[in-house]
Amino acid sequence: MSTQKLKEIIKQVLPDVETVICWQDGFDKLNVTPIFITSPEQADKVVWNPLCAQNLASYLPSQKKKVAVAVKGCDSRTIVQYMQEGLIDRDNVVIIGIPCKGVVSKKKVQKAIGNEPVEDVTFTDGSVKVKTPSGEKTFAIADVCPGKCASCQYPTPIVYDHLTSEAIKSDKPAESVYADVAELEGKTLEERKAYFLGQFDKCIRCYACRNACPMCVCQDSCIAETREPHWITQKLSLDEKLMFHMIHSLHLAGRCVECGECERVCPMEIPVAKLKKKINKEMRDLFDYTPGVNPEDKPPMYTFNVDEAKIKEHKL
Amino acid sequence: MSEVAAKELRIVGFLCNWCSYGGADTAGVGRFKQPTDLRIIRVPCSGRVDPMFVVRALITGADGVLVSGCHPRDCHYTDGNFYARRRLEMLKRLLPFLGIDDKRFHYTWVSASEGAKWQQVVTDFTKQVHALGPMHQK
Amino acid sequence: MRVGVFICHCGSNIAGTVDVAKVAEEARKMPGVAYATAYMYTCSEPGQKEITDAIERDKLDRIVVAACSPRMHENTFRRTIMKAGLNRYFFEQANIREHVSWIGLDKELNTQKAIEEVRMAVAKVMKNKPLFSSSFKINKRVLVIGGGVAGMQAALDCADGGLEVVMVEKSPSIGGMMARLDKTFPTVDCSICILGPKMVDVAQHDLIKLHAYSEIAEIKGYVGNYQIKIKKKPPYVDWTKCTGCGLCMEKCPTKNAYDHFNFGAAPTRAINIPFPQAIPKKATIDPNHCRQFVKGKCGVCAKVCPTGAINYEMQDEFITEEVGAIITATGYGLMDIERLTEYGGGRYPDVITGIQYERFLNASGPTSGHIIRPSDHEEPKTIVFVACAGSRDKSLGVPYCSNFCCMYIAKQAILTKDHIPDSQSYVFYMDVRSPGKGYDEFTRRAQEEYGAKYIRGRVSRIYPKGKKMVVKGADTLLGTQVEIEADLVVLGTAVVSAPGAAQMAEKLHISYDTFGFYVESHPKLRPVETNTSGVFLAGACQGPKDIPASVGQGSAAAAKVLSLFSKDMLESDPAIAQVNQNTCVGCLKCLKTCPFQAIVEDILRSGKKVAKVIETVCAGCGVCTSTCPCGAIQLQHFTDNQLLAEVNAICQK
Repeated sequence: MSTQKLKEIIKQVLPDVETVICWQDGFDKLNVTPIFITSPEQADKVVWNPLCAQNLASYLPSQKKKVAVAVKGCDSRTIVQYMQEGLIDRDNVVIIGIPCKGVVSKKKVQKAIGNEPVEDVTFTDGSVKVKTPSGEKTFAIADVCPGKCASCQYPTPIVYDHLTSEAIKSDKPAESVYADVAELEGKTLEERKAYFLGQFDKCIRCYACRNACPMCVCQDSCIAETREPHWITQKLSLDEKLMFHMIHSLHLAGRCVECGECERVCPMEIPVAKLKKKINKEMRDLFDYTPGVNPEDKPPMYTFNVDEAKIKEHKL
Repeated sequence: MSEVAAKELRIVGFLCNWCSYGGADTAGVGRFKQPTDLRIIRVPCSGRVDPMFVVRALITGADGVLVSGCHPRDCHYTDGNFYARRRLEMLKRLLPFLGIDDKRFHYTWVSASEGAKWQQVVTDFTKQVHALGPMHQK
Repeated sequence: MRVGVFICHCGSNIAGTVDVAKVAEEARKMPGVAYATAYMYTCSEPGQKEITDAIERDKLDRIVVAACSPRMHENTFRRTIMKAGLNRYFFEQANIREHVSWIGLDKELNTQKAIEEVRMAVAKVMKNKPLFSSSFKINKRVLVIGGGVAGMQAALDCADGGLEVVMVEKSPSIGGMMARLDKTFPTVDCSICILGPKMVDVAQHDLIKLHAYSEIAEIKGYVGNYQIKIKKKPPYVDWTKCTGCGLCMEKCPTKNAYDHFNFGAAPTRAINIPFPQAIPKKATIDPNHCRQFVKGKCGVCAKVCPTGAINYEMQDEFITEEVGAIITATGYGLMDIERLTEYGGGRYPDVITGIQYERFLNASGPTSGHIIRPSDHEEPKTIVFVACAGSRDKSLGVPYCSNFCCMYIAKQAILTKDHIPDSQSYVFYMDVRSPGKGYDEFTRRAQEEYGAKYIRGRVSRIYPKGKKMVVKGADTLLGTQVEIEADLVVLGTAVVSAPGAAQMAEKLHISYDTFGFYVESHPKLRPVETNTSGVFLAGACQGPKDIPASVGQGSAAAAKVLSLFSKDMLESDPAIAQVNQNTCVGCLKCLKTCPFQAIVEDILRSGKKVAKVIETVCAGCGVCTSTCPCGAIQLQHFTDNQLLAEVNAICQK
């Protein structure tokens, strides 16, 4: 897809909206950052490449006026989920859909180049070439992409008003989505306990995962930082960290659209999405529900059936 | 800090006022003997039980958690236990993933007239939790 | 904060297995507790005085009583502290009787458990907030759903009590099942003769507004203030013009329409007046059978109608009625005879249901009171009644007894002998259930005076043999198998919930059991109330019952409504949900999950969208509180912090 097409669409929709949200170059070659476009000249700064990992749909609930936003397939699931929950007015959003074959994980690239400063980054179909002071290295995108891309089922946005290129169909098997969950399920109870406690012990409660999560709309009212009600304390203990992650995962039950932002932003590289994916897997098995796919669906934790086919009474 | 007798574990129960709490009362009226480990918290409806209460209890020192409400379709508030059923089932499947044995959490439906069933639930669940031992090593 | 703790001995009920003195001693050490004591009978007058004296003397501001179950005496003690000037909600009761002393024998363990239950109660009461009721006006009109005998009785009693009544009946006429009966047990009174005057009273009462051939489309609102949307179905006859002369019915060329009133016992015309005593006595066209609707041409009724009342263009009409209370008297249904496959139900024309037989017996029925075999129209001489056809059968999903079949089978056996003196009736029964006044004497009469042969045993198969039906069963008293060649077989089919009962319950926000019968507040002590305030039950919709019981419940429901409306204002329960509009983010998840639709969207002056609770509708379940991600909506008296205080009191590592 040519970035040119994207810029054209942006200029085309700009007169009808307050702002267009897209990506632009960041502070160095390995970074892109969101841009809020209000004039056609700004549109020329737009970039589209596998560095565009940020889920721009997160900005939507706070927008008061009509905006346009560029979204990848995974980002569009956020919009669909917002529609299910009534968090946005669909008529107030112009969706510029960008079919995507995968983004790169900045952290993985940095590790692969030994954390050297990045002088230049170029992309060819399926691979990324990074130039550092010590030379050039080329990686297949499939080797440095985040987990979500390796199992992507929705490369083409599910809802959109404009599409920047031909729709792409997923070439990843459906079982791959929860392969990591299945792997952990195969371990023993003790192994899983050790794994999660070890991971969550690293948590510094920066709340970056919460802040980046598009489905977290409580903002300043977040239950993790209040005494009304007093669910967790600021005490620095593993119990409280575990409690925070449980609260976050339980609040996302049946809502997590697996956009991967939480893991992307975690400074301690904790696999925070695992619990949410496990819950999603159960939602799929119990209620045949996948978040962020059908705007007419009802999130399963906020509805019920009088008879639940898959829930059997537990015997002691 | 309360002293827990050596032979007891700490089991927290969330019982809905209209059915299960009544069922526990019926068991009491019928003098149906039960182990003493259970500590009951009364809620108006099983739908009031946020899964987070169960998690909080287990993390802060409970060895087992029991939630009991009206039978689905008989909820005093019509729909409360339908929500409870979905949310608690989700929690039941999540706990073992986290490394918490799901046998430490049980949710069930006991009506106000089912004193004998309540006795059975408490006895069996207490036994089940004892078989697992304390949640947190002292 | 100064908490007072009172441990009740309850005689030896608690003190027998709990060291109450030790509990009081430990309570004194708990943070916030200013006074703790043990008392013999706390609920007694001197016991309550202990509490009020202590409040005054020791300046106590919150009270915990550790005694029996709060379901027993919470209100008692709330009143006690109210008299001493404290808000009723500064009270908690720890259950150390039903949940401790009565179920455990180890005194040490019981005492420990009692101490912890008190600790929890103290922790909670310290988090309690004062709550205050508010009053709201009520609309003193009542909706009665269903025009059977229970509904009619309820409507008449309410109207006689001075209330305006709106009655909605889904059939073209009121009367319900009782209107179809020939005679009623045990008096063998003519059913329509005793029902007819009631039906006329309903039609003519100044305060009763009858919407027949109408259904409830939607119910909005709360006790005292309901808005009912009613769908008036089109009879395709203008009832303001129709005089009920019946000429249309005489001339209608379609003679094979399904007769709902007769339960299909015989066909009827596509346009018909259901029965001679119908109220309203108006004609209705069944569009499924009428040639004008099905084929597009006929119009005979329109031509012959002397007042020009026929109107094929009629549509559904929607109206709204505002009422303050609802009485549900929607009646019952009957099991589909085709489920009784061993009995040939639905397959053989001479195997019919009790209600169909009743229609044959009835002089204004399809056979003018002549009992005939549906197959060849001959008079039967040997009639076999099968009781419990479907009832008391777990495999068919009906484990319960249908209440009145034993009685009506006895009645039908008696009437059969009257109609056909040389007939012989047989009744296959499991038990004969005749508990009411004169009932047992009645069933005995059927056997002793009218010669009905009662065979204790179940029927295993019914199959045709030539012109007859062979009924094969057991006689357990004789210990043999029995085969009877019957001319006609009558099945006492099981009573089930009315069609559409579940959907109606959902509209009313009331519960129904596995069988679709509506759930009463308390099976013994509150049979006509539901757990939804403002909605009452009467008659068979609550469970199978006979006419006197239905009439009794109709009057009972009316009494409840009259008592509800005896005040001008109702007091709301303050232990309801409350929104902190500062922290609410307006996601409205609470609105979507509230079982009573008690939450609405509100826009603040700043433009911020928040949730708002309608105080009078909120029933206090707390689903909203467990749904809210930011804890902005809290069910008062069971807030997150209050429940967490209890959890933290027990769980400390």
